[in-house]
This record gives sequence, structure tokens and C-alpha cells, in this order.
Amino acid sequence: MEQRSLGFSVFLYASALLLAVLILAPFAWLFIMSISSTTDLISKPLRWWPAQADWSRYRVLTDLTPNTHGAALMSALKNSVLVAAIATLAALAVSVPTGWALSRSRAVNWSLGLVIGTYMLPPVALAVPLYMGLAALDLLNTRFGLAVVYLTILAPFTAWLLKSGFDPIPRDIELAAAIDGARLDQTLRILILPLAAPVIGTAALFAYLLAWDEFFYALLFTSDQRAKTVTVAIADLAGGRVADYGLIATAGVIAALPPVLFGLLMQRTLISGLTTGSVKG
Amino acid sequence: MSTLDLIGIGKSYGATEVLRSIDISLASGEFLVLLGASGCGKSTLLNVIAGLLSPTTGEIRIDGKRVNEVHPKDRDVAMVFQSYALYPNLSVRRNIGFGLEMRGVPRARRDEAVARVARMLQIDGLLDRKPAELSGGQRQRVAIGRALVREPKIFLFDEPLSNLDAKLRMEMRAEIKHLHRLLATTVVYVTHDQIEAMTLATRIAVMNNGAIEQIGSPEDIYRRPATVFVASFVGAPPMNLIEATWDGRGLHLDGSGQTLALPAPDAAPRPVTLGVRPEDLRLADPADELAIAATVDFAELTGPDRIVFSRLAGVPILASLPPHSHVTADEQVRLTFSKRDMHLFDRGSGKRIDIPLRPVA
Ligand SMILES: Nc1ncnc2c1ncn2[C@@H]1O[C@H](COP(=O)(O)OP(=O)(O)O)[C@@H](O)[C@H]1O
Ligand SMILES: [Mg+2]
Repeated sequence: MEQRSLGFSVFLYASALLLAVLILAPFAWLFIMSISSTTDLISKPLRWWPAQADWSRYRVLTDLTPNTHGAALMSALKNSVLVAAIATLAALAVSVPTGWALSRSRAVNWSLGLVIGTYMLPPVALAVPLYMGLAALDLLNTRFGLAVVYLTILAPFTAWLLKSGFDPIPRDIELAAAIDGARLDQTLRILILPLAAPVIGTAALFAYLLAWDEFFYALLFTSDQRAKTVTVAIADLAGGRVADYGLIATAGVIAALPPVLFGLLMQRTLISGLTTGSVKG
Repeated sequence: MSTLDLIGIGKSYGATEVLRSIDISLASGEFLVLLGASGCGKSTLLNVIAGLLSPTTGEIRIDGKRVNEVHPKDRDVAMVFQSYALYPNLSVRRNIGFGLEMRGVPRARRDEAVARVARMLQIDGLLDRKPAELSGGQRQRVAIGRALVREPKIFLFDEPLSNLDAKLRMEMRAEIKHLHRLLATTVVYVTHDQIEAMTLATRIAVMNNGAIEQIGSPEDIYRRPATVFVASFVGAPPMNLIEATWDGRGLHLDGSGQTLALPAPDAAPRPVTLGVRPEDLRLADPADELAIAATVDFAELTGPDRIVFSRLAGVPILASLPPHSHVTADEQVRLTFSKRDMHLFDRGSGKRIDIPLRPVA
């Protein structure tokens, strides 16, 4: 262990602490809001710390009685989970082969640049053509339709991420497998995909989060509980005549839980360095 | 046990010619070493034989049958990659058995074959480890084991020892030689290390710039290099090369005014390069006629030899003398050699000129 001066240590911990505060403060405030009484939240000056923890909003929002805030949020949660999952799985199905091909053949690399270039377009520019497309296919206000739209956003991103994941896997492994008599599908299934598992996990996580957080297209292409996602449902809570900040905050906390659970689940696959040992002495 | 014929193999990437009309014919059980500097096309040629690259021109025959269109997996060759290319996520057992697994060999027979090869390579204790848990030498053995287990028609090795340290390299060299004697399989072995080439090969093909300069036994390559390139590439310390003009009166060493009494068969002067290996030089007696006078720079004792660095009209001359030889810096020495040990090359074509051992009448 190297010797560090006291000043350096202080600086190191201060930086880490600052980062933690910056990341956690909004979430902490969200949570505190969710358990503060309405009086606390609208009093002036603002009461930063609730006089008493008020958990009632969690009960309200998990209440499944039809035509309540709770029913709306819970069906939106279900829609979000499904839409994000379908979009993520489809994006991986498309971009694993694409990313591998991009990584192995330099000839098609320009196409990736082109696709990434479409990201420069503002989403509004694509809204009308996408709307007309979905309408023509009778997919407006369906989970599947929204998932297809998300696929077009996610697939280029995951393909790019996976390409960088396949790049460090030595080409020689595939050549050796070819000489050993492996078919392409065997090479991919037994060797390449397990080696790329950490990156595939990362891609899945990011794709899921992107889809989960998407608001603009969800707002445009869904209209009721059959397809509305959680971001739209939260916006609905804010859209009434009197906005209950505490209720919005509670919905925010609930909406944050599934991605956090998914992240914890995926963490186990995000172990890198699996390719060590193939090469060198 | 198979023959291999390469007929007029060429490979180009666009306008760059990486291989030019390579012709090689290997009898069954031969150990061919492709020797050449980095970038001369050795790996490309090996990949062409394996089927990982298609040649632009020419034909590859295994056991007399054209295999140009045959997929690598059906050529029945095994290759040891320079990078080893082990499968990092599979155990050593599965790495070695992978070729058999892919060919549908039943589990029991596979395990038996893997165990036999592992015992031969002394890695039987490592079968359940992953490649990351092995040392360089052990990985190297696994890579060789993966090739051995299939009992292929031809073994291809691409610089398999270049990542190992000197001691391990020597051990593995001996082991590969031993394995070849045991199995008598045809081998094509790529290296840029001339010691490996000299010790392992039954025949060496010296490559330069995508073409074969000379192909022959190690003895041939060393004793009768066909070109200046082969002469300068093989041998350490390298052969002394002195530019000279050869005519009816003798061999005039350029720039030094010295003449060796070796009259050419033709009277017309001809630009040549004289080659003498350092170990073929001796300190001359006054009676020796065939001698070069050079000025000593310094000498180094390597143990068995004393290497004398000297100069002749600015051209460095190295002589490998017995360790007890006594020379001092700035001294003029006369270095002699036997006519049998000298080489002459045409300076235009770089090709060897055969010298009549007796002066022409
Ligand atoms: N795909 C390629 N495109 C263009 N040039 C290549 C390609 N592969 C190899 N080369 C060139 O071919 C030459 C021979 O390469 P290689 O066979 O790997 O040499 P060696 O194994 O003797 O070091 C090198 O100059 C290399 O730059
Ligand atoms: Mg090479």
C-alpha cells in the first residue's frame, strides 16, 4: 500500500462524499416528501423534516380499487415492466448478432456511425412518422406498439455497446473453434456469448432503464390504462387541478423500485475480466 | 501421416501481394519450418493451409487431393496459435476435448483421449482448471494438447514458443521434437527463431517478402545459403558480408585495396559479395595466403568463444575465435578461412555463385 498524505486522504473522502450527496440527495428528498404530511409540504417556510412519518400515500397508491390513483399506477407499473422487458429482449435479440458482426467485420462499420447519427435527431422529428406508422398497423395505445418504438431507440445503442464488448474477445478463439469443427452457432453459444455475458448484462440493464424512463413517446402513443406507462401515470398525477406533491413523490419512489431490483439482479453477471487466460504467457 | 503440396500459392489484399507463388512439397512425416522475419507472410501461409484464408492463386493438396474449397474443420488439420487461443470459459479438460466434442465423439472415449494426451504433456493434474489459472508454459501445453488429441493429418504451429521465457522455450522445443519423433505426423511450424528452425526441422523454408528464398535441410540452409538474404538471416552472430569485385586476377575487396588470390573463371570483372561466417575465421599464420587484414575494435568473451569486432575499410568483420586468443584494440589482425567455408553471391541478383574449389586451369 502506498503512503498517502493526510491532505490527499481528506480530499479523496470529501470528493466521494460530495458525489454521494449529489446522487442521493434528490432521492432522499423524494422519499422524505413521500412520508411528509401535506401541511408540512405546503407550509412556508418549508418544513424539511416531517413532524411525523405519514405512510398513508403508499396505501393509497397500492389500492387496486378500480378508478383510483392506486389502480392507475399499478396498471401503469405492469405496463412499464412489460414494455421495457419486451423492448429489452427484442433489442438484445437484434443487437447480439449485429454487434458481433460489426465487431468482426470492418466493412460495415460505417453503418453504425449512420445509425448513431440518427440519435442526433430530436425525438419530435420522428414523432409524426412513428405515429402514422403505429396507426397504420393498429398498434397505437398497445404495449406491443410502444415496445416496437422503444426497440428502434434501444437496438442501435445496445448494438454499439455489444460491439465494444465483442471487440476484446480474440478472433483467434473463433478460428481455433472453426478448426476444432465447431459450427457458427456452436461457437457463439458455447464460447462467444458466455465470454460476452458481462457486456450483454450491462446492455440489458441500460436498455431496460432507458425504456423504463422514456416519457415522450409513451405520452404520445398511449392513451389509457391498457398501455400507459409509469412515467405517464406520474405525469397524470401532476396534471390535476390540485397537485398533491406528496402523492407524486410516493409514485416516484414506487416507480424507482423495479429498476433498482433489476439492477441488483443483473449485478451478479456484471463481472468483467472473463477473457483472461486465453492468450499470452 | 499425410503429404502436403502447395502449388503456386499466392495471396493478395488488393494491390498488396502478401504471398508470391509458393511451391512446397512435403512427404509424409516431414517437419517443415517456415523461417522468416516478422511480416514476411508466414502466418498467412499457415492460415491458407488451415483453410482460414483462401489463396488468391494456386492449389493446396493434402494426400494428393485438392482441398482449396474444403472447410477448415474438414481438412483434418490441427493448429496451435501463436496466442494459444484457448477457450477461457472452458476447463482444460473441455479445451483439449473440444475438437472431439464437436465431432460427436462419445463422452467416455473423449475423456480417455484427453487423459492420454494430458499424461503425455504432464498436465493431467490441471484438467479441472480454467486457462486463467495456468502459467504460460502450462497454457502452451494445453494448446498443444488440443491439437494432439485429434490425431490430425497435419499439425500447424504458429510461433508456439515465442511467448515463453528462454529456459521454457528450450524445454518445449525438446518436447515438440520428441512428440514428432513419437507420432511422425507431418508438421508445418512457423518461427522467426533460427535456433528453433535449425533444431526442429527436417526441412527449412526461408521466407522473405512473401516468397520462399530457399528450401532445404538445416545443413543446406546453413552451409550452402542460396541467396545473400538467407546467408545474412541464418546464423548468429551473422555471416560477414564484404563487397568485392571478382576478375581473372582475383577477388578485390572494395575500398581496402586487398586482393584474395581467387581468380575468377571469366576475366571480366563482376560485382560480388563475399560471405564468411564468424566461426569460420581464424587468426592467420604468415604462410596463409587467403587472409583479410582488419583493424580490431574490441573483443568480447562469451564463454566458449571470444568474439572479435573488427573493421575492414569501414565494413564490420566479426570473428568467433577460441577464448584464449589474444587480440588488443586497434591491432591489425589477419583473419584467414578455408575456401570450402566461403560463400560468393552475385551482387545484382543476390544469388549464390558456386566456386570451383580448385583454381581453374
Ligand atoms: N487482412 C490483411 N489485409 C492487408 N494486409 C494484411 C492482412 N493480413 C496480413 N497482412 C499483411 O501481410 C503481411 C504478412 O503478414 P503475416 O502473414 O501475419 O506475417 P508473419 O506471420 O510472417 O509475421 C504483413 O505485412 C501484413 O501487414
Ligand atoms: Mg505471424
